[in-house]
Amino acid sequence: MRRNMSVRRTIMLAAALALAVAGCSSSSSSSSGAAGSTPAAGSSSSAGAATVDTSSCGSKPGVKATGTPIPLGAIATNQPGTSFTDIPNMAKAYFDCVNANGGINGHPIKYYIATEQTNPAQVTADAKQLVQTDKVLGIVGSTSLIECSINSSYWQKLGFFVIDSGIAPECYSTPNSAAVNMGPRYSSDGAVQYALAQHASKIVFDQSNVPGTGYIAAGPAALAKAANVPIVQLTENVPISDASSVAIKEVNDAGPNGAVILNFTPPEALIILQAAQKLGLENRVKLWGCSTPCNTDFLAQSLGAKWDGKLFVNAELTPPDGTNTTAMNLYKAILKQYGTSVQGGIGSFSQMGFTEAEIAVHALESISGPYTVQSVNAAFKAVKDFNTGMLCQLWTYGDYPLHIPNNSDYTVTPKDGQMTTSQGCTPISAVDPQIAQYRGAAGTAANAPA
Amino acid sequence: MPPWDNFEPFIVSGLALGGVYALSGVGLVVLYRATGVLYLAFGAVGALGALVAWSLITRAGAPGWVGWLACIVVAAAVTFGYGLLFGPALAKRDPLVKAVATIGLTLILYGAMDLLWTTSGGQARSLTLPTDNGGFTVGTVQVTWTQVIALGAGVVLTVVTSAFLRYTKLGTAMRAMANDREITATLGVPVRRVEAAAWLGCGVLAGVAGLLLADLVALDATTLTFLVISSLAAVLVGQLRSIPVTFAAAILVGLLHDLLTPIVALTNYRDMTPFVIAVIALLVMSRHRVIVTSREEA
Repeated sequence: MRRNMSVRRTIMLAAALALAVAGCSSSSSSSSGAAGSTPAAGSSSSAGAATVDTSSCGSKPGVKATGTPIPLGAIATNQPGTSFTDIPNMAKAYFDCVNANGGINGHPIKYYIATEQTNPAQVTADAKQLVQTDKVLGIVGSTSLIECSINSSYWQKLGFFVIDSGIAPECYSTPNSAAVNMGPRYSSDGAVQYALAQHASKIVFDQSNVPGTGYIAAGPAALAKAANVPIVQLTENVPISDASSVAIKEVNDAGPNGAVILNFTPPEALIILQAAQKLGLENRVKLWGCSTPCNTDFLAQSLGAKWDGKLFVNAELTPPDGTNTTAMNLYKAILKQYGTSVQGGIGSFSQMGFTEAEIAVHALESISGPYTVQSVNAAFKAVKDFNTGMLCQLWTYGDYPLHIPNNSDYTVTPKDGQMTTSQGCTPISAVDPQIAQYRGAAGTAANAPA
Repeated sequence: MPPWDNFEPFIVSGLALGGVYALSGVGLVVLYRATGVLYLAFGAVGALGALVAWSLITRAGAPGWVGWLACIVVAAAVTFGYGLLFGPALAKRDPLVKAVATIGLTLILYGAMDLLWTTSGGQARSLTLPTDNGGFTVGTVQVTWTQVIALGAGVVLTVVTSAFLRYTKLGTAMRAMANDREITATLGVPVRRVEAAAWLGCGVLAGVAGLLLADLVALDATTLTFLVISSLAAVLVGQLRSIPVTFAAAILVGLLHDLLTPIVALTNYRDMTPFVIAVIALLVMSRHRVIVTSREEA
């Protein structure tokens, strides 16, 4: 009997240790989930019939590039629950297409993708590996929860001008990073701006409780203050284990004429919205809004018809459903022919990879001399008013202290299991001081409304 | 402090959550009492079952009941298979080794789920039960049948399991094994068969809990795998032995967790509820132990 007691105590100690360890892993998972800081997820509808010949991606259709390779690299987060590898994988698909169709003046692009698991030391090592071992000349397609924060000064020191998908504040607030997406702050701005335009009397802005929430929340707070509308800022630990409570709290705080704006990854946003639906809360507020990660047909399909015209989602890139442009068709065709490793298929992630590669190829084609770190990065930096076909506005890198080149967005809403456009291109308000600062630096302030 | 009516909706959600924690907790206690294994893969096998159900219903177009049944069968099969394969080899090992071995299973399942049901590209999944569409209102609070089932399942399971352990032959055998496996075996109890029954029962409970939690919480491998931690706190309070205490602790964890939601100063700390309750329980129990030891010494 005494032995049994001892055994029980041992196992209880083990259980207590497991509790403690799990507590640690839970918080680690929370930060890695970084829901609020994910770039756009996307539509998932089938690729459909790609009618465009992919050979139009290169300058010499059908001619394989055999010259000296031009090495480029990317760093992407890839860990359980958070994977951004679709973005560099799509960039690789584009480069493969270019290589099969003449390359860059006969030179193929050799693309290295390093992955990381939100470990700062690993992110630093990845950058050094790309530069010192792989000898990359430029960074294109990086998408990481922490890469911009960790490596920003390293890229500045080496003279690299990175083309990426932004998550961390440094992806937007430094001279050496220019993103094709708007990132969590400006995407949240867009969602709040839409709610204010619908005359919501109160804003409840809820996001993941991860580092950087203050930076993101500053944008929506500025917009609400300028509109003289009260705003309640909430944060939730992720993964969320009590979505019903979260939904009730949001609705209670917003009131019947208020708006609830979410900034989470698709899985987290989905469980909140579904919990609200189960409790009949979807109609207890004026409208629900969401930053770009909610822009996915996975979400629209899972939610069902009750949210049609009730949920409004910010979209940073041109919605692929129903868009029949040369760039969109080329993107779909390349994805179909070369994008076997792009797991999410059509959607914002792969659109971002396509756009970044498209910009890089455009820049590389402008180089007349040898391909060096200096020439490649000078070409990246010199990209001006480039029509990607994927964004509301022309894309410019430029010599600015900060870069928010994508600052005009769409708003979409679910309809019949797909996200459909609810509002066309609308500039993000310059009431957000960061937007105002960028437009001032880029000289575009006069063209955009406050 | 918010007015009382602000708390009312959270009582319902807290009770439902507590009910499912109780379901998991009771499953863990039964298995521990029969085999001496603290089954930390309980959440992971439930998650696996729920994801298989999602694939069958959403991808293969199978009827809902096929998916739900598959969830329970998969969880039961994995747990039973693990018990058959590793149970005998681990039977004489230290309890800590037995528990750590189930962490191995957890990690394997977690990795497999992340690979097979990736969240890359913004993929999000959900598993909704038809009982979500019906319910009733208490005051201003909407209660779904799924929430009622979650709480009811916890209550029924606690009563039935307690009765089973007390009044059936198999239950008596399990209780005997909890005291001493070797002596029980020498008394002619087929220990392997009793252990197999416990593994199977635990697996079935993991499947049911996985199904309910996938609906009530989220269909996400990470969330469901680690949600067992909240149940573990209840199991600790029940000292890995008492099913009614485990049930009560699970309800307390769920209820307290959700009732902290509207309190602004505490809302971001509500996920600590299971840990705080477990720590307090351990402290109280260790204090009790010191007193008992002192008496023995005297």
